[in-house]
Amino acid sequence: MSLSIPATGTESRLLQLGLREDGSLEVPPVQPGSPASWYTGSPTPGERGPAVLLGHVNATGGGEGVFAGLRTLKPGDRLEIAREDGSTAVFSVDRGEQYGKDEFPTLAVYGNTPGAELRLITCDGFDPATGTFDDNYVVYATLSP
Amino acid sequence: MNKKMRLLAVPTLALGALALSTGPAMAHGEDSWSSQATLNTMNNSGTTGQAMVEVHGMEAKVTVNVSGAAETFMDGPFPHAQHIHIAAQGVCPGPDADTDGDGVVNTTEGHPFYGHIGNSLTTEGDTSADSALAVDRFPGGSAYTYERTFELTPETAASLKDGSAVVVVHGVDPALMPAAAAEKMSDLDETLPAAATLPAACGTLAGSQMAAMPEGGADTGVEAAASNGNAAGIAVAGAGVLALGGAAMAFRRRANA
Repeated sequence: MSLSIPATGTESRLLQLGLREDGSLEVPPVQPGSPASWYTGSPTPGERGPAVLLGHVNATGGGEGVFAGLRTLKPGDRLEIAREDGSTAVFSVDRGEQYGKDEFPTLAVYGNTPGAELRLITCDGFDPATGTFDDNYVVYATLSP
Repeated sequence: MNKKMRLLAVPTLALGALALSTGPAMAHGEDSWSSQATLNTMNNSGTTGQAMVEVHGMEAKVTVNVSGAAETFMDGPFPHAQHIHIAAQGVCPGPDADTDGDGVVNTTEGHPFYGHIGNSLTTEGDTSADSALAVDRFPGGSAYTYERTFELTPETAASLKDGSAVVVVHGVDPALMPAAAAEKMSDLDETLPAAATLPAACGTLAGSQMAAMPEGGADTGVEAAASNGNAAGIAVAGAGVLALGGAAMAFRRRANA
């Protein structure tokens, strides 16, 4: 599978990653040019439910990660997923939300949805004092009819 | 011969990588799964919320987020009895379930739809149906987050699996009830006002569309990339994350024991 976001010029194949031992999401590699990933425990994009895609906001060396441009997405922007069967699922951005990692709304992001939806997750809230990212930025999108 | 062996070696390696990458997901095997519910307002209460039940064997971590609930009762936080009802139709009653015509659907009138109590979602102590009205052991106030891990009854586990488990949150501001209904005593306990036990929100627990619900957000920022020259600070932050992860694993192991 691969992801295309025309508004930000993003093209990425999607790694297939699961969960770590502690139940948190495995994330893609950190090197510059690393692709985004699809969480294998979530529905496949286009299937009913919230398909979860992850991408780093930055990369080792301080450059941009594959999801560095997520914050610039606006409602109505297109997200295209090329699936393994050759078909393309087109999603439309609904909104973006920033959440503190210590108060991440699990059910809002990962909870059941009536139709096929996407969740694009990256990091935000960089704290120069600690060198850590305290927040996640989540883009919500739904399958276009 | 050599060439053939090399050809064979490639798929074997690929299979190995595949097995490794599916390892973590398998850790959430068949006795680990989750259900969730959207809690919709009943009886004009304005109360809404969400509930999630994460099952590991016979143990379940239950999370309930509620807002818009009745705030005060006799100068204290309004207690909200909350339960998992089981083994009936697995649905929430509509207004036409009001068989006595007093303008509200009380708990008893709802029983044919959501069934009787499988587990009481108390804050401490007993979690059986015996604690149905243990008003001093339920969360209270207009908005709250409840989280507790306890052992499900076999009946509750069975209803969760077949989709007939329903979360019901009780307790409605009497000012929102028809006057005559608000003056009644509870259909469940004649020492309590009807408002104290009236259903306020209800939702059927449905299996999660996720095979396994992830814990929290994602580490999608490369923190070693920070160029603030404070390498020691980064190392300390990293150690903190590791320690937290270790604590979570220890907890999980205990929970599975």
